[in-house]
Amino acid sequence: MMNEREWRDFNAGLSDEVDSWLRGDTSRRTFLTRLMLMGGAAMLPGLGFTAAGSKAWAQAVDVSKVELADPSTPLGEAQAAAVKASSEGPKEGSAYRAVQAAQAYKAKNITLNLTYEAGLQALEPKNFSGPLWQTLTGINFNVVELPHPDQYSKPIAEHIADSGAYDVLDIEPAWIPALANGGVILPIDDYVTKYMNKADLDDYHPLYKSITLYKGKRWGVFDDGDQFALYYRKDVFEDEKLKSAYQAKFGKPFGLPKTWDEYSQVAQFITDQLAPNVYGAAHFRKFGSPGNQFSFLQQFRANGGKFFDADMKAQLTTDAGVTTLDQMIAQNKASIPGNNDLDAVAQWAAWLQGKVAMIFSWPPTGRISSNYAQRDKAINFIPQSSIADKVGYAVLPGGNGEMASGYVRALAAGSNNEEAAYLFMQWVSAPPLSLVRTMLPYTLRDPYRLSTYKSEQYRALWPAAKDYLINLCECSNNAVVDMIMPGWQDYALSIDRMCTAVWGGEDPKSALQKASAEWDSTTQRLGVAAQKAAYQEFLQIPGSYADHTIEKVGQAVHIT
Amino acid sequence: MVQLAPADILPPPGAGRSSRLVSAFADRYFKWLMIAPAAILILALSIYPLLFSLWVNFVNYDFQIPGHDFVGLQNFLQVIQDPLASSALVLTILLSLTVVAIEFVLGLALALAMVRTFRGRGIVMSLLVMPLFISPVIVGQSWALFLQRPFGPADYLLGQLVGHPVNISWVGEVPWVYIAIVIADVWQWTPFMFVILLAGLAAIPQHLYEAAELDGIGGLQTFVHITLPQLAPIITLALTFRLLDAVKLFDIIFMLTGGGPGTATYTASFYLYQIGFQQFHLSIATAGSWIFLILLSVVIMVLVRRLLRVEAA
Amino acid sequence: MKARLTPWKLGTRRLREGAVRIVIVGLFIMFVLVPLYWVIVTSIKPSKDYLTVPPVWFPAEPTLVHYTAALFSYRGLQGLINSLIISSAATLLSAVLGTMMAYSLARFRTGGQHLAFWVLSQRFLPPVAIVLPIFLLFRGWGLYDTHIGLILAYTFMTLPLSVWMMYAYFRQLPKSLEDAALVDGLSHWQAFRLVAVPLAAPGIAAAAVFIFISVWTEFFFALILTSRYAFTLPTIFRAFLGFQGAQYGEACALATTSLVPSIVLGMLVQRHLVRGLTLGALRG
Repeated sequence: MMNEREWRDFNAGLSDEVDSWLRGDTSRRTFLTRLMLMGGAAMLPGLGFTAAGSKAWAQAVDVSKVELADPSTPLGEAQAAAVKASSEGPKEGSAYRAVQAAQAYKAKNITLNLTYEAGLQALEPKNFSGPLWQTLTGINFNVVELPHPDQYSKPIAEHIADSGAYDVLDIEPAWIPALANGGVILPIDDYVTKYMNKADLDDYHPLYKSITLYKGKRWGVFDDGDQFALYYRKDVFEDEKLKSAYQAKFGKPFGLPKTWDEYSQVAQFITDQLAPNVYGAAHFRKFGSPGNQFSFLQQFRANGGKFFDADMKAQLTTDAGVTTLDQMIAQNKASIPGNNDLDAVAQWAAWLQGKVAMIFSWPPTGRISSNYAQRDKAINFIPQSSIADKVGYAVLPGGNGEMASGYVRALAAGSNNEEAAYLFMQWVSAPPLSLVRTMLPYTLRDPYRLSTYKSEQYRALWPAAKDYLINLCECSNNAVVDMIMPGWQDYALSIDRMCTAVWGGEDPKSALQKASAEWDSTTQRLGVAAQKAAYQEFLQIPGSYADHTIEKVGQAVHIT
Repeated sequence: MVQLAPADILPPPGAGRSSRLVSAFADRYFKWLMIAPAAILILALSIYPLLFSLWVNFVNYDFQIPGHDFVGLQNFLQVIQDPLASSALVLTILLSLTVVAIEFVLGLALALAMVRTFRGRGIVMSLLVMPLFISPVIVGQSWALFLQRPFGPADYLLGQLVGHPVNISWVGEVPWVYIAIVIADVWQWTPFMFVILLAGLAAIPQHLYEAAELDGIGGLQTFVHITLPQLAPIITLALTFRLLDAVKLFDIIFMLTGGGPGTATYTASFYLYQIGFQQFHLSIATAGSWIFLILLSVVIMVLVRRLLRVEAA
Repeated sequence: MKARLTPWKLGTRRLREGAVRIVIVGLFIMFVLVPLYWVIVTSIKPSKDYLTVPPVWFPAEPTLVHYTAALFSYRGLQGLINSLIISSAATLLSAVLGTMMAYSLARFRTGGQHLAFWVLSQRFLPPVAIVLPIFLLFRGWGLYDTHIGLILAYTFMTLPLSVWMMYAYFRQLPKSLEDAALVDGLSHWQAFRLVAVPLAAPGIAAAAVFIFISVWTEFFFALILTSRYAFTLPTIFRAFLGFQGAQYGEACALATTSLVPSIVLGMLVQRHLVRGLTLGALRG
């Protein structure tokens, strides 16, 4: 009888076989050729899709396995800089130091298992950072693709199963408390002290620098600035006829909404005037999409809501809660038909087709609006933009946009190669690498570093890219964050269910009461005292409430 | 053609005493040895885990709360007091009764329509039974895409049919979401009823019908007095099998509605999955599973025992 | 054949019934085909055709790019290979163990009706009630997320099917040949292996196909018991319909890839469908 380890090795071996077959360029080509001979030329488009149009132009390292852009483009320039920063320095840079330290593992033939969201997110490590890291350090990588909810549940399952299956986890910042308390992830403070360049730590936007802290320790490197911002159609808001009609109707000038009440009013007005050609707004309100918890918590706080009282009783069934749901119902009514069934992509499709005047959403919105992202075949499920030069960027109504989810690279407890895993995390999020990875056309990683906001290469990607970056930075200055405390997954699920129930016709008040009861039972299950302490800690995080944002604590960064 | 005992496969005469002993032993306990591997596997993967989970029922087993303290009946109380648990159970019962009833009626109609031979019957049969070979996940996904608003074809087709735009939120609003689930389940499992009932119909002796025709008895009466009674045991069997499968409804919910809107389409299985494998309150989910299992066992005992009697007869 | 006996009146009734029959069957076939067509056509649509009103029924520029992308750029091929390995192995194991047990049950009435009933009752256990303990058990045995773990789970899951189908099959086979073999000095095992199994081969083959289909299409066990190595095809469609990405074409391409083998196999054993669906309780 084989023991546990042998079982696992056997399985790992089997899977590695399959993996290498999939990954290894030559054998993969052979396989494709064979398949083509068997199945006829029907598979031809696939070759065009998978072939990397790259050439080895960096002298120091053989980067032929990495998918690289033309070096004369801004992206190509940034990539060349990233390779140089990794292989030649500056010597004190986090990228260089990580690569240098990782040389210790060169001969050891180790493999890092990295979780990524399945689909597009996973293309980046497969095509760019994974192969480049392998070339630089000899450390192999294996991208484990998981659907978003599984990025939480599978590491927990593996942790319970004690399998040591993962090395680097891609997690939401709001999962940190639960995963840290559960022993699923490890603090990285010692490694940061040892290897990271202090200047690179300070290069994070202050919001993202502090967001990975919990119980006084750092639980990962931030890696995806999922900041909500408002995207609007300049042509609609500059339309003279609309302006005068609005002035006549409401007695005030037509402009971007400053409050949530104004937002639904303006949206409704545009819909009334322009539908079915253009609707005022669109939202992703489909169950689990996930958008409802972000929208609700963002607005609930704008309306003065507090999550808990002094005894940790849920405070959803309050005026703030009712107002928020009423506002959201008004938003739904003012939006494109089918609003409540849209997921993020369907919403984008409507927006890009010019059918929507305002959407608040994640940063990829800006990149697809300008048709920058669509140049890559991988993102071809998104239609071409018909509004490329008509899009403006703004902060959200109420001023405080949600930092909705985001990703943190965390170190998995039980990793067999802890230090190498950390070094990868540090390298991949170091400024030059982070810049490239947020610039890739098909990427869903969004800017989070001050150097990225200021990057000339990024600003050259499309005409309004500079405004886009400045707006993202401003939104982060005023951002509110998700409930970063144990039980977030449960609390958020209650909110999502509450919202979809209300869209389905349930009375807001009774839905709020149900959600409150669920929150209370979650709190009780986790222990009222423990949750009370966790909530106190959450209150300290910049972005916990509108009166405690990065701007309000005096750390705001304004770039030009 | 069966080859009977060629000499060379008989035990070689020179075989050692011990091996002869072994084979004698094997032959003597043959019937038990034949059962052993399968029985051990079932024991290992069903009885042992159930016993283990019996312990989990009474302790804390939640990854966010360290340790496995004895908590008494706390886990069961959590489930019983959760309004969602009872509503999920009620929905499971209502939904499975509904889908099985509709599948039965449709399946019977199809079986009656298909019982006589006609040209192209083979192809028609193949088309009708196709859903049985498709993964329920794909069924859920297909219907999710098909019913998607505003870009799926369902609303568009309905709009063409009624002559004005239709804007139904198939997965976002009650009662449409129930209708969507029923449609998807009926799509997949009506062929099940159809196939079994068709076999039953085909087995009814023709002379009964011929006699009825000669006596000038009408179609409906023939159906009531000949077809139904003859078909009764088969109907019981089909309903039992379907019902016991229908209460497990999970895949379609998972792909189509995710339990929403709100918690409107949480079935028992989906509820337990959510608690156990998304929120990782393992001990609560285990307690819930036991409650579900005990309720189901009663039904299984009654229905399957009856089934065995029918079959034995 | 009975038309000669039928009076004219009954003839028109037949005609009317025939029309009703065509309508019922025709409508149901459309109902079956339309969503399937939608999946298949979405798998060959260029992505600009996904989110349009009115929907695109016949893409002007069909493409296979979603197939190559889903299989080679994402995890499709590994899922497909895993599914093939796991389904084949579980089918083999389940058919062998099931046939052995069924033979003993049928020929020796081993354990009486209770044992047979116990096996059958496993068929009706809700997966959600047992998967959690199995998960915890697999964790202890190092079987979580392994091919072997999933093969064992599926063998367990399909044993009621193979045992009961073969149980029914053996009971309708005459016993006399095996008795003759025993008289000729063969052991019980040899009588089983050399006489009964060849006779039952068609039944075993049919049972195996049903086992394969039910493993191939299974979702829940695979969802819970795998993560990075042993994931099967049905568990990965939903990854394409995620957070910020909706790769309908890729999802549909994998769905099509997955449904073709099981439908083809299903068609092959259509004659045995009734036995398969009722675990041999009905012969059809």
